[in-house]
Amino acid sequence: MSPELEAEIAALLADPPADPPADPPADPLQVIAEGMIVPAAHHHALATLLKAHGYGLYVTVAASHWPQEKASRKEPNPPPERFEVATVLRNPTAPGAPAFWWSVHLAPAEAIDSIVDLFAGADWQEREQWDLVGVVFANHPNLKRLMLPEDWQGHPLRKDYAIDTPHAPWR
Amino acid sequence: MSTDHASTHVVTPWTALTPPPRVDPYVDLSEFEADGDLMVLNLGPQHPSTHGVFRIKLVLDGEVIVKAVGYPGYLHRGVEKLCEKLTFANITPILDKNDYLAPMTSEQCFNMALEKIAGVEVPRRGRWIRTLLAELQRIASHLIAIGTFAMDIGGAIGGGTNLFMWTFRERELILNAFEELTGSRFHYNTSCFGGQRHDLPAGWDLGVIKALDQIERRMVEYADFGTANPIFVNRCRGIGVLGRDLALELGLSGPLGRASGIDHDLRRDAPYHCYDELQINVPVLTAGDCEARYDIRVQEVRESIRLSRQLLAGVPEGPICSEKPNIGPTSVRVKGAPAYVAIEGPRGELGTFLIPTDKGTQPYRMKIRPPSLHAVAVVEHLLPGNNLSDAVAILGSLDPIMGEVDR
Amino acid sequence: MAVTQDDPQTDAVTPDAAPTDAAPTDAEAASFAEAQALASAVLGGVAAPTALDRDSRSYSNPLLDKVISVPGLDVAVATVERLLDWASSNSFFIFPMATSCCGIEFMAAAASRVDLDRMGAIIRPTPRQCDVMVVAGTITVKMAPRVRKLWDQMPEPKWCVAMGSCAISGDFYRDIYSVVPGVDTFIPVDVYVPGCPPNPEELMKGLKRLQVKIGMQRDGTWQRSGMPAEARPETKSLKLGGLLRIGDPDRAAGLSDAQRDASRSLGFDGAEHRGADEDHGNLFDPPESPPASQAAAAELEATHES
Repeated sequence: MSPELEAEIAALLADPPADPPADPPADPLQVIAEGMIVPAAHHHALATLLKAHGYGLYVTVAASHWPQEKASRKEPNPPPERFEVATVLRNPTAPGAPAFWWSVHLAPAEAIDSIVDLFAGADWQEREQWDLVGVVFANHPNLKRLMLPEDWQGHPLRKDYAIDTPHAPWR
Repeated sequence: MSTDHASTHVVTPWTALTPPPRVDPYVDLSEFEADGDLMVLNLGPQHPSTHGVFRIKLVLDGEVIVKAVGYPGYLHRGVEKLCEKLTFANITPILDKNDYLAPMTSEQCFNMALEKIAGVEVPRRGRWIRTLLAELQRIASHLIAIGTFAMDIGGAIGGGTNLFMWTFRERELILNAFEELTGSRFHYNTSCFGGQRHDLPAGWDLGVIKALDQIERRMVEYADFGTANPIFVNRCRGIGVLGRDLALELGLSGPLGRASGIDHDLRRDAPYHCYDELQINVPVLTAGDCEARYDIRVQEVRESIRLSRQLLAGVPEGPICSEKPNIGPTSVRVKGAPAYVAIEGPRGELGTFLIPTDKGTQPYRMKIRPPSLHAVAVVEHLLPGNNLSDAVAILGSLDPIMGEVDR
Repeated sequence: MAVTQDDPQTDAVTPDAAPTDAAPTDAEAASFAEAQALASAVLGGVAAPTALDRDSRSYSNPLLDKVISVPGLDVAVATVERLLDWASSNSFFIFPMATSCCGIEFMAAAASRVDLDRMGAIIRPTPRQCDVMVVAGTITVKMAPRVRKLWDQMPEPKWCVAMGSCAISGDFYRDIYSVVPGVDTFIPVDVYVPGCPPNPEELMKGLKRLQVKIGMQRDGTWQRSGMPAEARPETKSLKLGGLLRIGDPDRAAGLSDAQRDASRSLGFDGAEHRGADEDHGNLFDPPESPPASQAAAAELEATHES
């Protein structure tokens, strides 16, 4: 990643978002590196910026569920339940074809901006993540279940979903 | 083989076709009568040309497709959830079943993610064997793509079945070599954390070279089947033109992207395994139609044959695995930050996004980046405006693997 | 060739030689005598005809196994059903219910090296023309209703081959929320072909087994041969108790209430599904055979209501 782009990303993240999240990350001006945590309000803007700088190949989005763990001696105040959404973009024309991914942390009821308007390929990927993990993508034009039947109950990739949940009459 | 060269690429002169204007996949058709002006036709989920179980709801105006809605998920086996319950040593054979035409690359990608997180380096001979197997797998996978595509456009009774029979005959040669090496026709489980499980048996390379000679000789016929066959050309040229911008946005890499003019190949641009020691010619076409998608696979098979010969000639000595053999479910322990690793599978960028648990024996979350899911997502953008009969040709040229789409 | 119906309990052939009640003419009397001679010859000693090749060496001919020749007369007799069995077991029209990896091995079996055409098997992608369904691959909850529908569209008689461990029991996907643990929980399966995936040769072997089964089942020799009904290969289940296969007498008791209610709502009640080696009644209810006693009927009723 070029220093100019890193500076632009740093400038973007330094801007306070229009509606600041209730629980902002501790250090928004962290090192621009793979896997950095980005406030949800900056997610769409960051994708726009990266696309303008050649990161035009949409790679993937991966959401994960982190339920609140029990308090232990090691961690008396475990972090509350959250979802993490990692988005990966790639620059196919730059030397080395670098991929860049960042992570957005969400509270259970919080939504993340969809980037379907930037990348048409995000359509099915985000639908899949909503289907399996239950992360809501705001402004998605067609947020329906993709993999499972539309009348399915629950989101299987959540940690509280039993793997062998029965589904009558088939299993 | 020299290491001091600039990797090159070949841009074949080809008529650049103008892609059609972008379509709105969510177009509202409620103003039309349900049974009057338009007709709804369900293609699939059990349809021979869908290459598995994939359903497309087509809204037709006469013969012309107005809207296409894809419904994957008929093979959703919950692989990602299953992997969260298994240990790292158990996962490799599961991933073989994801892309069942190229299991070799599937398992390599996962193990590379483990190695990246753990910071383990695979010995050169292990990497070399992985490179060789990946190229052979690419040949076998593309042979099926070519054969089934010909069957899709030729019909079961027409000439297309010939090519299907021929390419399956050639694929058996590769599968024989894999069976001799791993004991299984597919679902090999030969890649493991730290390297390879099976070493090349003595004399194995002679059989492979013989098979490669045979395949290369016959590839001439298969290339002629496309470019020298007027029926094939009429059926494919200018059909389903996919522009470069749309292909990038949809995340198409691999043969589909390169047929649309994206000059990108992870083997050359971000080398892994031993690809940095090889000179890789990446064919790129700009037409973006069904014929280009066929032609690019023929060219890639030829390139893979050339690479395989080079690799077979110079297999280095040394260990094949840097770790202890993975015996027992908890024998692999990997701790570290999450990582995304991608390799160039036969269908495009195949990636693994892996978050290990704190204990380091299981994935907390594993997301597979399937190139086929991006490929079938194209239908909503590519089918509208085409004739119904072309839908089968377009779908066949995408070569999706539903096991990988649905996981 | 004289073709008659026979008594399934005995494999001998009894030609219908009873005279009419009118007084027989000379010609009729002559033919009656001939028929009597035929009958005694048939009942006296049955000789299976042998096929001879050009060099007068005998070889096995599957058609000749189905007929009985009459010594002294140039006549062979067989039953319509035996001939039909012979024909249908040598001309499978296969409907490929290929969903995943096993589908590729199925394609390899149909392609040049193994070539299913050798045994008269033709692959047709429409269920209405087929009599054998090969389920090759994992069946998911989303796909299962479609498989069932395609199975119902196939004309009788029909047979089902479960190819691969996913179709047999769900394999290691068995405990996953979206996978049906075995296709025999909603389709009567005749032959199991184990493997992950089975080699094309294994599929060939399974189809040959189905040929034998078809040849033996209709005249009752399959049931009387002492060979057990096709058993699902053992699978170690992790958690799910598992549905019992169709035709298992304990199946009705093993169904959960939710499964029974859902099968009704899906409209599977009362649908006729005849399997190959037994009458399967409907899908999720006990077999149609009338209860032995009133008490059993009441018990059955109670099972339904509970």
